[in-house]
Amino acid sequence: MSRPFPYTYISCPCADTPVPDPARKRRSRESPQKSPSKPPPERVNPSGEDKKEPTKYEQLEEDEEEEQTFDPRSPRSNFSLYPPEQLLYCEECHQIKCPRCITEEIVSWFCPSCLFETPSSMVRSDGNRCGRNCFNCPVCTAPLAVSTIENATGNGAQHGPWVLSCGYCLWTTLDIGIKFDKPTNIRSQLQKMTDSTAQPAIDRSRQASRTFGDLKSPLSTFASIDEQSAAREHEEEQSPSQEQEAPPMGTDARFAALKSFYRTQIAETSSSPNDPLSTDFGFSSPGALNRLMSLYASSSRLSGLYGGSKKPKSKPPVMREAITASEGLQLAPENGDEDLIKRLTSPSCGWDGMASTEQRAAQSPDARFTDDLLPLPALLRTKRAKRCKSCKHILVKPETKPQSTRFRIRLIALSYIPLPTLRPLALSTSSTLPTIAPTPDLNSLPPLRPVHVLLTLKNHMFDPVRITLATPPVTPGNVATKVTVLSPQFEIGANSDVWDEALQGASAPLKGDATAIGMRGVPEAGKVWDKGRNWTTVVLEVVPGTLPGSSAEGGDGNGEGDEGVLAVASQKADEDVLEIPVFVRMDWDADAQLDQGNVGKGSKPDDKVTRELAYWMVLGVGRIQPSL
Amino acid sequence: MATDSPSMSASKRSSATSNLRHSQTARPDSPHTPQQQLRSGNTSFTSTTSPGSSFRNEDDAIIFEIGARWLRAGFEGNSAPACVIGFGPEDSRRVGDYRGWTQGSLGAGRLAQPVDAEEWARAYELWRPDSREVDLGLVEDKIERAFRETYNQYLLTDAGTSRLVLVLPSLMSHPLLSSLLSTLFSRWRFPSVTLLSSATMSATAAGLRSALVVDLGWAETTITAIYEYREMITKRTTRAMKQLMQEMGRLLTELASGGNQNDDAEDKISVGFAYCEEVVSRFAWCILQAEESSASEQTLSIPSPANPEQEYMDVSFARLTEPAEKVLIAPGTAEHEMDDEEKSIPLLIYNTLLTLPPDARGTCMSRIVFVGGGSRIPGLRQRILKEVSLLVDRHGWSPIRGKALERLRQRLEGLKLSARSPPSGTETIKSNGKAANDEDASSGDEEKPDPSKEEPELDFVEQKLRRQNKDIPVPVQGVLREVESLGPWAGASLTTSLKIRGMVEIEREKFLQHGLAGATRDIDLHVPDRRSGLRSGGDRSSWTLAGWA
Repeated sequence: MSRPFPYTYISCPCADTPVPDPARKRRSRESPQKSPSKPPPERVNPSGEDKKEPTKYEQLEEDEEEEQTFDPRSPRSNFSLYPPEQLLYCEECHQIKCPRCITEEIVSWFCPSCLFETPSSMVRSDGNRCGRNCFNCPVCTAPLAVSTIENATGNGAQHGPWVLSCGYCLWTTLDIGIKFDKPTNIRSQLQKMTDSTAQPAIDRSRQASRTFGDLKSPLSTFASIDEQSAAREHEEEQSPSQEQEAPPMGTDARFAALKSFYRTQIAETSSSPNDPLSTDFGFSSPGALNRLMSLYASSSRLSGLYGGSKKPKSKPPVMREAITASEGLQLAPENGDEDLIKRLTSPSCGWDGMASTEQRAAQSPDARFTDDLLPLPALLRTKRAKRCKSCKHILVKPETKPQSTRFRIRLIALSYIPLPTLRPLALSTSSTLPTIAPTPDLNSLPPLRPVHVLLTLKNHMFDPVRITLATPPVTPGNVATKVTVLSPQFEIGANSDVWDEALQGASAPLKGDATAIGMRGVPEAGKVWDKGRNWTTVVLEVVPGTLPGSSAEGGDGNGEGDEGVLAVASQKADEDVLEIPVFVRMDWDADAQLDQGNVGKGSKPDDKVTRELAYWMVLGVGRIQPSL
Repeated sequence: MATDSPSMSASKRSSATSNLRHSQTARPDSPHTPQQQLRSGNTSFTSTTSPGSSFRNEDDAIIFEIGARWLRAGFEGNSAPACVIGFGPEDSRRVGDYRGWTQGSLGAGRLAQPVDAEEWARAYELWRPDSREVDLGLVEDKIERAFRETYNQYLLTDAGTSRLVLVLPSLMSHPLLSSLLSTLFSRWRFPSVTLLSSATMSATAAGLRSALVVDLGWAETTITAIYEYREMITKRTTRAMKQLMQEMGRLLTELASGGNQNDDAEDKISVGFAYCEEVVSRFAWCILQAEESSASEQTLSIPSPANPEQEYMDVSFARLTEPAEKVLIAPGTAEHEMDDEEKSIPLLIYNTLLTLPPDARGTCMSRIVFVGGGSRIPGLRQRILKEVSLLVDRHGWSPIRGKALERLRQRLEGLKLSARSPPSGTETIKSNGKAANDEDASSGDEEKPDPSKEEPELDFVEQKLRRQNKDIPVPVQGVLREVESLGPWAGASLTTSLKIRGMVEIEREKFLQHGLAGATRDIDLHVPDRRSGLRSGGDRSSWTLAGWA
């Protein structure tokens, strides 16, 4: 369903171990009824297992035993299935590792657009975005280019104001009225411009915070309350006059104002004569605030609101709320959203004048119209080392340089587990014309008609592997498809030197002939279809079921009608996709040199250890036709 | 006071220790030059950090706000989150499934067949309030993936190294909270997780200590009265954005089918969810007055609901106000017709204010803060406040109404007694000149002289207080007033950057031992004076869930 047919997915075994919730165990012991519904209601057991009563002990066991059929249709399986090439393998734990069971450490930060590495000290101050000239279009996310405005007056191409322009949607910064003086350092130029709108507010808050910055320094700790209140009065004298003409502040300016306001309040309220310690130790220590909160919340509840107390000389003022705009208080505009509504209805706005939810996601929360959108500096990317979550063994370690695509360590799972590939078997009974035998169209498989698919497993290890495949006889879900693995147990040869095969003798062409004959043969139960140096192909016989509600409704699947709307809602779209869960169990004899401690487990005389790995695999075969 | 002494000494100790760190960080800015300029050189996307952060990058807490639809994440001290991530079906695809890119995302076009309104929205929610309908395992999976991708794509820092602050609604079912926390703790090595209540944080981000926070959220609208940082009352209604979206979906479905809709598809929706959300986010609005018709004459060209990819369609602008008005305001629906869980928002605000004690009511009603997705809808907030003031005009602040009361009133009028004075005289007195513009909205008792205009009768305590605090302006009280907030995320960022520790701080080891059951239900921790969302930093041997318990 998710990739072109046929495809294979592997379910990471970590999905079988649920998140350990310490309380859950306890809770379920206390009251079994209340325990959260695990297993989820939509999970069905087509293999005919008894319906288990979710009693307290069995439920715990049930999580541990892996007897349940993996259901590729369960919404949870989307989170545990990975394409085989994306999985890693931990050599210490001998287990497949998916992105959920590794931890990641950042090795380096770089801009994907200019490939410059950003030092770790700069990453945060740049806001995790490129500090150079890399910008993305706010409308269509394509990269923006710095270009000059064509000037008729004959300014050379290298002069004149510069703009950022999008080569894809032809958006330029001129659309929002921004031009740059220099073609370099665009980010800081842009910052200055976007700030200038809220300049007065910022200026004030800057002044304010400077004064309070004084007080905060440990050297000026004996700045008395009088000084502070004087400063505040001074502020308040100014503020009413400024209040009227001050435009509404931007988010950042308001945030800064609020922050400095709270800082001051903390500073003022914590310099209490009652508590000489706090004057000795800085003002904005959290302990001071906490103490005051608990002190005054209980004792002076009445006066709390009025920001004062009975004896200001003996008691510090209580924290008050922000009162003026310079302190970050912002009242709703008086005429409400009338302007906004007018602008919405104006013909110049229209559907495309409004920013979409996607466009707004990366912008400031106030952005509403496309005119409010600013060019976005490119988001940095990281190179990350990956470790096994349980044993901390490094699984992946890339080279630090952004330009390099090499890895120092990379333990991908495909070097350890066989690569599964799937292809349909040409359904031809006539052995004379094998080339034009029609392969079934995987996007419309006729229901109730057997299809043969070839599953090839290719071994990349240097040891031969014994494989056991198991499938549920009928696939889980509403569409009951019958599946049979014709030869569930087989062996795959070691990934020996390629020359070995060639040197084995002249049998190679003959063998190739044999495969050609095999291709034309009839799949037989118990026989491997084909076999090569390090790969083996087996046949799966699949009888697609009928879709519910289709003309060939088979009468099954009705028992799951009360399966819960949860499952139905999310899966309706892909109900006709035929996916087969296959349980793969592989074991092989590995050299025991790596871990001596493991010898007790079936050790062999020649220092070999039998290793075993088991996991679920999902084969996406095709899409079932709605009708016969 | 005596009970406070141990915590005081403890906090002295902690203030001393914390100050050692603080003085180190504060010293560089004592010549008071660079740091404020650095911060004010901020734009929306440059999330410069709190001053001195370059000295202790690792210590900066990371703040996540999680709701049913969206997740916001960023660093403390920033004014806006670094990213906003949704929980749509596109985000729960398999790895390697690129159909969202190749075929266009789900829900943009028209649906193949109409679906039930509940199912229509279900794939887009992380959880629902009723935890019986929630597959907790799936929620855990989604949270894990969302957090991992947030760290890898936006935060660009190693997950689990620094403190985590979660902003959560103050009412959350325990299974959900437990799933959330155990996912975070078992997946990453977070040293501790602090929980902050979103309503209190919204008030903080408005610069207020007391507020009436109206959170127009997804599944429900919560109205929380906060007085001096304490949650006094929380009331909720299901009239929220989800219903609005469904209503808009029905409207668009009707437009798409051109009016000739068959009966069995009555309640079903056939337009894509993503498309509908676009329409709501762009053009949902709320009309201020029923007779206002200047704007409603206009028509608007929106992508046709039948075929959003190619065609456009003209829609009367007035029609787009219908869902918001019908769902959130519910005009023309009498109070007794609505269930307890679906009171209209103006009514619920009025009821919340009514249940508050008069002092708190007077304070809260002039500090109404709207947050949540619905607060972006143009005109909605003014409309709600207008409806509330109408309710106040009609009923005063008396919970008693009905025919019997009317009869009694007539009888008393017959006796020439002015028995109609509602008990509102006491809390609406204190208002200064600043509030004059709102006065006519709040006080509509015609028979009595306007209480906010008459000379306030001050008791002697009040007078004394006024004398002592001449320089401090009297807080606005008793009038309906709306204050804008930067939102709960910004509030948490503000609080955390001021190094205020949360009341609920869950440490890793303790949680892993006992889970949520390990939280103390000790009543001592619940004494009112510490429930302010702040906590003295002393004894950490036990932890509490405070409001979440």
